[in-house]
Amino acid sequence: MAAVSASGLTKRFGTTCAVEGVDLVVEEGEVRGLLGPNGAGKTTLLRMLLGLVRHDAGTIELLGRPFDQAGSAALDGVAGFVEDPSFYPYLSARANLEVLAELDDAQSRGRIGAVLEQVELADRAHDRLSGYSSGMRQRLGIAAALIRAPRLLLLDEPTSGLDPAGVRFMSQLVVTLAASGVAIVLSSHQIGELEAVCDTFSVLRGGHVAWSGTAEGLRALAPPSVYRLLTSDDGRALTLAQARDGVRVERSSSGLRVTAEASAMDGLVLALAQSAVAVRLLEPDVSPLESAFFALTGAEATRVGAAAELEPGVGAES
Amino acid sequence: MLSAYRAERRKLFAQVSTRALALVCALGPVAFAIVLSAQSGVPADSLLGVWVHNSGYAVSFVVLDFAGYVGFALLAGVLAGDLFSSEDRYGTWKTVLTRSRSRADVFAGKLLAAAVLALALVGLLALSSLVAGLVLTGDQPLVGLDGNVIPSGEALWLVLASWLVSIPAVLAFVSLSVLFSVASRSGIVGVLGAVLVALVMQLLALVGRGTWAHLLLVASAFDDWHGLLAAPKFYGQLIIGSCIALIWVAGCLAASWAMFRRRDFAGPPVSGRPGWTRPAQAVLGSMALIVLLGAIASVGPSAITKARLESAVLRAFNDLTVLQQRELGRTVPAGTELNLTTTCGRRSGKSEGPGDDWSCTMTVVRASAGYNPFELTPVTYDVSVKSNGCYKAESPPSFVGRETMVDAHGQTVINPLFTIYGCFDVIGSAPRCPRNTRCGEAVAPRPAGAAGTRTTPPAERQQQQRALHEAERAAGPRVMHEVEEAERKLEHETAHPQPEAERAPRTEAPAQTRK
Repeated sequence: MAAVSASGLTKRFGTTCAVEGVDLVVEEGEVRGLLGPNGAGKTTLLRMLLGLVRHDAGTIELLGRPFDQAGSAALDGVAGFVEDPSFYPYLSARANLEVLAELDDAQSRGRIGAVLEQVELADRAHDRLSGYSSGMRQRLGIAAALIRAPRLLLLDEPTSGLDPAGVRFMSQLVVTLAASGVAIVLSSHQIGELEAVCDTFSVLRGGHVAWSGTAEGLRALAPPSVYRLLTSDDGRALTLAQARDGVRVERSSSGLRVTAEASAMDGLVLALAQSAVAVRLLEPDVSPLESAFFALTGAEATRVGAAAELEPGVGAES
Repeated sequence: MLSAYRAERRKLFAQVSTRALALVCALGPVAFAIVLSAQSGVPADSLLGVWVHNSGYAVSFVVLDFAGYVGFALLAGVLAGDLFSSEDRYGTWKTVLTRSRSRADVFAGKLLAAAVLALALVGLLALSSLVAGLVLTGDQPLVGLDGNVIPSGEALWLVLASWLVSIPAVLAFVSLSVLFSVASRSGIVGVLGAVLVALVMQLLALVGRGTWAHLLLVASAFDDWHGLLAAPKFYGQLIIGSCIALIWVAGCLAASWAMFRRRDFAGPPVSGRPGWTRPAQAVLGSMALIVLLGAIASVGPSAITKARLESAVLRAFNDLTVLQQRELGRTVPAGTELNLTTTCGRRSGKSEGPGDDWSCTMTVVRASAGYNPFELTPVTYDVSVKSNGCYKAESPPSFVGRETMVDAHGQTVINPLFTIYGCFDVIGSAPRCPRNTRCGEAVAPRPAGAAGTRTTPPAERQQQQRALHEAERAAGPRVMHEVEEAERKLEHETAHPQPEAERAPRTEAPAQTRK
């Protein structure tokens, strides 16, 4: 049984088509990343899955239940939030969770203490929300979802407002939940945040699914990676790079910018060493996944099938 | 639904506005009663305000009367007017609607919380005003709206019943506040909209003459308790007012649900946050409906008729005269009724409709010395009548005395006849005039002493005496006693005639007051 099975989802707001013909299938234990630029339809899609917005066309099944026929049970086992989690500022964090637990099943209230510990808000539980930072609110949003003991988690920009420690915390939480069988759908326009945790991706553009598949498949679509290179003699390094096949190089304000496949890059590094040019810094300027993402959501990309038009690399000899 | 109700109840209890409202309901009547007890004045604009120093029950009715103007609407607005719009303001719809409760559960839970809390606060207001009045003034019998004296035990039940009959109208305003909150998504419109509607309805009640149009204004239902304090009691307005209030409840809630059920919660960028357009539309739509009702307020017959007013004022005057005489220490047997005639009319020439240009002239048949033992003394009240059948009758002090008088115990008390407040049934048929009275006829008083100089043939005199005796029996024991006294005097004077200069003055009317 798929945790999410959505077919042909369409939503229009007036003359604007926010989502059109979107299919989405997420299996239990799978972590699906929803990628896309602002306005691509990610949040609208999640709102439809959470019942906040009525879909104009298509079907939704959550945890095997047809959404339109399930009534109040439609969201049993489902939790999540869209945009910034919102709570009542005149109540404390714990009181907010207690109010929300009243709207859940009988066991939710009993999980509040443990969940607050899990999101590291136990010592601030009795403080009013008006004194919370955005990162704390984000963690409280996770807590509000976790007290429902969900089997399907739908999170919109979950790392928004989080510091690096918070982002790491969120990543670990996602991995832990997925390992326990929870299906998770994460949306973001920052692919770097999702790269480490997602098993599969759906790339949205203009309300449509531009591409859908595994992380490896997305990487395979990536054009040659772009690297930032700093050496002891950038001038000589530039000359050596320009003479090599499959390597494109240009000067930048922070060293050299080299575009090449991994194998060609390896050859360049060896050549530099043989020419007594020390490599001081070599790092990806844009990750392969990001490169693929930009290619899929860029101006020249079209609907599903655009992946076939992408070349595996520029000038590469495969 | 009950879980949604509990969640909503907790949120309402946590809000400062709700706690402040509860505090006002608990302590406001107490403060009011303390202020009243510290001064001799009375709230003259309230139906039972003149009796607040006579009976503690009157305090509760005064509070109820004032609450009916705008208090209940404000209570409903504060509790229910921000119920839905606050979720928009805090952005919490996406939090609340993604739990294990359907939209219907959430909607019903919010309504139930607002209704229960509204009724609880109304109960608190009733209890507070009742206790404050009884503690500070006492549980003396209460003078009702027709001058009837209501025993203490019955007055207690009537207080409770009167507050209870206000509940349908309170729920109607709760529903109206919910509608404003759902439609406008603005807390300001939700809270103040109901208050504004109540004020407009009060204003509309002052215009037009059509009774049924006024009954459709749900604020009229706050007057339904009047019939419980009249004699005889009337229930027509109460039944109709309650039904209309429930229709308002159903209509407002149906419209609210229809909007809420279909709404997409798509967030600020896409959902088209209404700004001030929708709130303005919601308020203007409601105002247009009320103005339409106001425009048709003059359609249809008016229930404020000459016959109803005459009967009501006459009954009140009779009962309040008896009350006055008892307070002055005079013995008045139970069931005593004056020999009265009355006629009412409007200076504008119309014979029906609310207005402040009514005047009612009551002619009192009172005993006097001389050949004609009965003298006719007219007393005219200027009467202001509202469309709900409530009136205020004011008389110059020359006949009824000043506003206050000294009772048999030496206490300064309100003169019951100085200003008469009352209400009559605008739904039922016009009641008959009380026994021994005639309504609708103007009886010209015969000048005193004029008949004393005329020689009456014996046969005619016998006929007059027979008619006189009939009238005496109808006038009651007291008048008979005075007539007997007058006849004894007449016989004495006939046997021992005195010069005109030494003739004794006439007996004063029973309604004269002493300072």
